[in-house]
Amino acid sequence: MSKEKVFKFVIHLFLIFSLLVCLYPFFYMVNNSLKTGMEIMNYPFNFPEKVNYSGYVQVFSELNIVRLFLNSTFIALSVTILNLVFNSMAAYSLEKTQFKYKDVLFKFILFTMMIPGVILLIPTYIFLFRLGWKNTYRVLIIPGALSAYNIFLFKQFFQQIDNAYVESAKIDGANHFQIYSKIILPMAIPVLSTVAILCFMGSWNDFMGPLLWINDEALYTLQLGITKFRSLIPGTNLQTIYASITFATVPVVLFYMLFQNQFVKAYTGVSLK
Amino acid sequence: MTTIKANPERNWAILFIIPWLLHTLCFLAYPLFLALKNSFLHLNIISPHKAAFVGFGNWILAIQDVNFWKSLFNILLNQAIFIPCSLFVGLLFALLIFELGNKGVFYRIVFFIPVVTSVPVAYIIFRDFASTQGPIQQLLVAIGILSQPVDWAFTRFLPMPIIALFNSWKWFGIQMLILLGGVYGISKSSIEASCVDGANWYRKMMSIIIPQLKPQIVFILTVNIINGLQMFTEVFIVFGSEGGIYGAGLTPVLYLYDIGFAKNNMGYASSIGLLLAIVIFSLTSLQLKLTNKDS
Repeated sequence: MSKEKVFKFVIHLFLIFSLLVCLYPFFYMVNNSLKTGMEIMNYPFNFPEKVNYSGYVQVFSELNIVRLFLNSTFIALSVTILNLVFNSMAAYSLEKTQFKYKDVLFKFILFTMMIPGVILLIPTYIFLFRLGWKNTYRVLIIPGALSAYNIFLFKQFFQQIDNAYVESAKIDGANHFQIYSKIILPMAIPVLSTVAILCFMGSWNDFMGPLLWINDEALYTLQLGITKFRSLIPGTNLQTIYASITFATVPVVLFYMLFQNQFVKAYTGVSLK
Repeated sequence: MTTIKANPERNWAILFIIPWLLHTLCFLAYPLFLALKNSFLHLNIISPHKAAFVGFGNWILAIQDVNFWKSLFNILLNQAIFIPCSLFVGLLFALLIFELGNKGVFYRIVFFIPVVTSVPVAYIIFRDFASTQGPIQQLLVAIGILSQPVDWAFTRFLPMPIIALFNSWKWFGIQMLILLGGVYGISKSSIEASCVDGANWYRKMMSIIIPQLKPQIVFILTVNIINGLQMFTEVFIVFGSEGGIYGAGLTPVLYLYDIGFAKNNMGYASSIGLLLAIVIFSLTSLQLKLTNKDS
């Protein structure tokens, strides 16, 4: 073997080893979800002596995980759709229409990105608490319905779309709503998918929002539900906790695997082939 | 009516921007005003009508609050370990995967999985995983690095470094992909030239590739400072709202949560929030200034 080949072989070995280390926590999770609580406590590393599905059964009977799943999905989908519509509209206005103070407005939107979210936590809570929004779906949807960063992403993308499309449509008598919905949006699939992934994952994985706002079990999200559940379950039923987090993780990982290029683009801004 | 009809372009523009405007007024401008106002009040959510004006009382308390500064120290310690650690691991894997060309795609995809899992799930696993009976400590004892398992969550100084290491596992995938994007952007000719010169792999990386990754590294630092300082869920799940017995797991946002929600002192929590925002803002500006000076 040439020197080059040996070098690559060593890299492969090192990466495979790292990969196993990196994924071991997930293996540990799935493995434990198929054991009994006693086995997990006494032999945390062993394979199950006999595969035990009681954890998965209890996840449905005691945790009502379907409800949690539907709540999370409904909230995350609503946040995503509102973000796609409102942010792209704002960006369209900034990029493809003409009005005074447009640049000042855009600079202001960029500036709002610099404001740390933590400053808004308490006052937003007071404001919405007084409106009676505690224990509602909308409190987890409306405040997150727009984001300056997403407007920025849309605007950047719209910038690359030739203005000739807009101008020629105008000559044909189209108004701005028609241009936006029939011409610009269909060309904007890449940025739509980026924003969709960011919003959906952000909302789906959010923990603090549900923790602050929801104490009605019927409205629990998946993240809040499994965390609360963990502190309630006795040690002998540990497998149920592992079953619940496996249940919460597998769909997300599958979803990521299917759309991994779009995920990479969304999370890092780089596109890799 | 005539003026409105005269400028349909402007009307469309306004119509399209209205949702943003309303949202910003309700969820940015008004809360900012409230934050400022409340920081001068003694206020709780249950009896808001009893709010009392306390002048700069909350601000003076916040500046003298030992727990606030401790939480700030904790999170800075955490970031001081997390940032170099995740950057190093991300960089190492990015460079190795780059070396493999198309055969590296599989690794890249799998290394990103921890990033897409949720923080609660990761930390539920982590608590058992790093406990005295868990695999990590058992392994360390078996190979002789530890003489006996340590209940690290109940020590004075271990919580933040250990959370930083675990977060490096959770997030290095982002760093890796950003850097990988940077490496692919470097012109092939400059890399090939170094091969012709006979530079070995290490020299090639240190003198040709890494210096050209500066924009990506600056980006990673900036994003980490803003997001990292606002850590909450991780410490809440491991330590509860008081941050462990010595407050060794207390972060500023956890402290804010404890005061505002667990102890129900919203006025004081508003001052803490504003103070923290000022700290984050200054750190970000300072860091941007420093990195701009270099170039």
